Amino acid sequence: MSQPHRRSVLNLYKTLLYLGREWPQGYDLFRKRLHKVFTKNSEETNPEKIKMMIKHGEFVGKEIEALYKLKKYRAMKRST
Amino acid sequence: MAAANIVRSALSGFLRKSSTYKTPVVCRLSTVALQQKITSVNYAIKTYNSLNHQNGVATLRTQRYYCATQPKPGQKEIEGRVLKVCKAYDKLKCSQVHTLFYFCTILFQNLYVSARNYSGGAPITLELLKSRVLLVLQLYDKINPEKLSLESHFINDLGLDSLDHVEVIMAMEDEFGFEIPDVDAERLLRPKDIVQYIADKEDVYE
Repeated sequence: MSQPHRRSVLNLYKTLLYLGREWPQGYDLFRKRLHKVFTKNSEETNPEKIKMMIKHGEFVGKEIEALYKLKKYRAMKRST
Repeated sequence: MAAANIVRSALSGFLRKSSTYKTPVVCRLSTVALQQKITSVNYAIKTYNSLNHQNGVATLRTQRYYCATQPKPGQKEIEGRVLKVCKAYDKLKCSQVHTLFYFCTILFQNLYVSARNYSGGAPITLELLKSRVLLVLQLYDKINPEKLSLESHFINDLGLDSLDHVEVIMAMEDEFGFEIPDVDAERLLRPKDIVQYIADKEDVYE
């Protein structure tokens, strides 16, 4: 069974896990949720759909980054 | 960008240093400031402890190499100095002196940590490597520690899926401080493989 997107999916999972280290509600919660989301879609076999999901995952990663930036900015503003 | 990174790392290095150097200073404090400083010392000790005991292998990793040029005050001397300051301060009660006495011993230990280690750390042996790998795996919540052995297969024996396997590899990267490429990570399906892989990377041979 060939899984052409296997590596990129695992790579995405790793990237998101790294991003989740500083999650405000704790790393453990983030990890569990991420795992749940990934297993939910693990039965998908259509390559086009998998591609779309990977795109979506990358988008979520960008969102998380933006969230951290916003959080930092707010904390800086509050402290001055 | 690169310049900003250098400045940031230099700054963080400076900050870290100042928190460890704060501990020996307590002996020379003026008596009035003593009580306020106790909290700061407490904080410094706490940060130091949390740094070292993040994962249970603290004793393995922090083998201390003493710097020859630094004078080493004895424990008796430190205790004497701290107690002298405490006695001079009239508002301290007897019970507080007791806790201070406890600080003395911690201070004594911390004095040596402020020395920088220029050597590369203790040499890694194959046995140490095995125990560290197994410890990391035991601390991982989805693995049953009783089933775990060096030969057990992550996916077939321990019931992990490929996502958990990624997490295991990440934990190994954190523990040993280098990145494992995805291509290599796919092959590391037993604790034995991980030990062998790290031994190759760190040039550890029997």
